[in-house]
Amino acid sequence: MSDKELRLERLIAAPPDRVFAHWTDPALLIKWWGPEGTDIPVHALDIRPGGKWRTTMRSRDGKQNTVSGVYRAIEKPRRLVFTWGWEDEHGQRGHETEVTVTFEAAPGGTRLVILQREFATVESREQHARGWASTLNCLAQLLSEGGK
Amino acid sequence: MSRSDRLDSVFGALADPTRRAIVERLLARGELAVGDLAAPFAISPPAISRHLQVLERAGLVERRTDRQWRRIRARPQSLALAQSWIERQRAHWTAALDRLEAVLAAETPQRRKT
Repeated sequence: MSDKELRLERLIAAPPDRVFAHWTDPALLIKWWGPEGTDIPVHALDIRPGGKWRTTMRSRDGKQNTVSGVYRAIEKPRRLVFTWGWEDEHGQRGHETEVTVTFEAAPGGTRLVILQREFATVESREQHARGWASTLNCLAQLLSEGGK
Repeated sequence: MSRSDRLDSVFGALADPTRRAIVERLLARGELAVGDLAAPFAISPPAISRHLQVLERAGLVERRTDRQWRRIRARPQSLALAQSWIERQRAHWTAALDRLEAVLAAETPQRRKT
């Protein structure tokens, strides 16, 4: 719970260019985009800087969730930046975040790091990249003490 | 306000170091009089007041008047909303990456042309 932002790291047993391709080739992307059992009935992926993307994920129970954004940077095969916002049932986009994915060659494959920033605007994120970790730490402490 | 709007206002309110410091101070100290709350901050009372308005709109703090004293306290449940959003997002990526690994493993690397 000490995260300054959402950060995930994973060692993937494939070289960076292959992993990168699975993020930037629409035909490859939709093979895995979403949890197990999800399919992608609708997608529009204009994967280039400034290009828009939108995917609808359908889970086994038929529920559909749509997420969309804009590609900000595509640096093959090292780095990918795009915005991310879930849409509600009326197509209204919710809180927008920015996702940065880095692909780094590592023994055994690729070290993939996903960094997702929660701030409402890029400006505020740039200014306050330190985030609000300590705020959440305070919360965790408070909750663990049984406070309300 | 929709859930998404609430989330926006919480994240927006927290995207400022002074406002984060105010929330942290209230979480640490409990309820404070507005004057006591503002004491460590080198900014004017109107500026503090504006920050408090943003935090109040986001539901992160609440004010009450106790006789002539205006008091303010944190509402941690609003932070929990932001936290659960992050946790859901994490679960999403973790599941998708499991699948990416499975897709990559199922392919034959030598023959794959991308």
